[in-house]
Amino acid sequence: MNRLKGLLAGLALCASAATASADGDLAIYNWGNYTSPELVKKFEDTYKVKVTVTDYDSNDTALAKVRAGGHGFDIVVPSANFVPIWIKEGLLLEARPDQMENFKNVDPRWIDVPWDPGRHYTVPWQWFLTGVVVDTAVYKGDINTTAIWLDPPPELVGKVDVTPEMNEVMYAAIRYMGGKWCTDDKALLKKVRDKLREAKPKWLAMDYEIVEKFAKKDYAGALYWNGAAFRAREQNPNVRFGYPKEGFPYGMDSVAILKDAKNVENAKLFMNFIMAPENAALISNFATYANGIMGSEKFMKPELKDAPELSVPAEFQKAGEWITTCPPEVNEVYSKIWKDLLK
Amino acid sequence: MSGRASVFSVKAQTGFGTISIACFFALYLPIVILVFFAFNGAGSQGTWGGFSLRWFQVAWQNQQIQDASWRSLQLAAIAATLATLMATPAALATTRTWAYRGLTFKFALLNLPLIVPEIVTAVALLAVFARIKVWTGYTGIGYLIVAHTAFCIPFAYLPLRARLDGMDLSLETAATDLYANPWNTFRYVTLPLLWPGIFAGFTLAFVISLDDVVITEFVKSGGQETLPTYMLGQLRRFVTPEINAAATGFLALSVLAVTASYFISRKRK
Repeated sequence: MNRLKGLLAGLALCASAATASADGDLAIYNWGNYTSPELVKKFEDTYKVKVTVTDYDSNDTALAKVRAGGHGFDIVVPSANFVPIWIKEGLLLEARPDQMENFKNVDPRWIDVPWDPGRHYTVPWQWFLTGVVVDTAVYKGDINTTAIWLDPPPELVGKVDVTPEMNEVMYAAIRYMGGKWCTDDKALLKKVRDKLREAKPKWLAMDYEIVEKFAKKDYAGALYWNGAAFRAREQNPNVRFGYPKEGFPYGMDSVAILKDAKNVENAKLFMNFIMAPENAALISNFATYANGIMGSEKFMKPELKDAPELSVPAEFQKAGEWITTCPPEVNEVYSKIWKDLLK
Repeated sequence: MSGRASVFSVKAQTGFGTISIACFFALYLPIVILVFFAFNGAGSQGTWGGFSLRWFQVAWQNQQIQDASWRSLQLAAIAATLATLMATPAALATTRTWAYRGLTFKFALLNLPLIVPEIVTAVALLAVFARIKVWTGYTGIGYLIVAHTAFCIPFAYLPLRARLDGMDLSLETAATDLYANPWNTFRYVTLPLLWPGIFAGFTLAFVISLDDVVITEFVKSGGQETLPTYMLGQLRRFVTPEINAAATGFLALSVLAVTASYFISRKRK
């Protein structure tokens, strides 16, 4: 009997210990090498919360694990085109960050996004865009155009790299030919295909990783992300990032709270925490992309603060758009054109 | 006689040398390049910036790499021990017996993890463990131990079985003839002879667990990064030679384990 009592007392102790520690926990599930350790440390010290960070390598992995349940995570950071899937499947908590204290710091440009209008579920983590990267020592003309890689000037022929991402390439090519994203206009898509076919022999590669190649001057032009262009300029001061006036796609990863999160209060604290400019700056300092919180530039590393790659000039802001998920039948046509291009 | 044998030998076929050299290149060149750039002084995987141990130092001081490596080693040690403990009786039971109906089936069943694609096991485990996690609320390292033990069993089993097949049964028969009971026969005759097989099985299982990515990625809960899944997570952003350095350390460990296993299993033949 006594033994039983002891056992029960022990169990009770375990249970209470479990809940006690649960009060001070936060489990973040984020892309690998993406969460600033400094930010985590500061959050832990401010709120006396123990944070664990776990990595994923793709939107699909994260979705699969959370969908299965029992994952034990509180926070996830999906990409913009995946957020609607998370919401539709009921995986996210409607945390209403738009009613939080620090929401006033969010740049109005990133509030009414089509994938979470008014920000009822998500808070910006980092945003980026795909544009053109040019070595201005090689080519001195206008760089704010998709022509850099679709109609390369003679100086750039044979020195162009194009990112091997279907959506980014198709988006830029369709807008360049005067179409809208997700168009199923056969005549226009035929022109897009022919343009891509015609341009490909003038490229050097379709590869990831441009920083080193711009440093070694192997590449002089590219279709790539702005954060990488920033790092390329650090290695080769002649590198500039251009915002294609014909149209360019935005991307963003956003912080959301999972519906079955165990530490909802801490997760909400974290959401509010990263909307403070001095904390958002830590995110950018670590991963070198812009964060979408006004006033955070003041707290950024000097080389990042004034980086032209991270702030879109007013005259080009209208050309930027979100890549949405196209209907399957449209996507199939795009895939065909893409496969044809890769051949 | 010997001339004839060499004509029919595979080695005498035209193109044998070329094909084997091509195979060795495809297998080892990427690894050589990976190790080479671990010693790169520059921060890139493509441009050589002089010999340096800088990235080894960076990797060594990285708290995340430390945690992940330590977890990987613990997990591999526990899973390999459990797998060997289970594979040893299984190997004894499937070799020290007369052939009977269903023996081949049992053998196939034991080695199923070798045949089932890893991603299938991973998705299946994800679904099952998720249920259990919801029911029990337990999200500890136990799931990874169970999963790793399960796919390590055939790797521990095969060297053991090979060893048992090669062992002279007459020694055990002699022990029994001399009135040793089954336990003493096992303890004083079979086990000492089997030891190299057990060790080989253990190290193989250890290395397999250490290297696993797919199943771990699907089964891991919060804060349970192993070194391979940590390295996978780095890929979305720029990869520095730090990863090469960590990979080189891991490679050295694996090679060491396999070499040790090879020498120990040879020694007692």
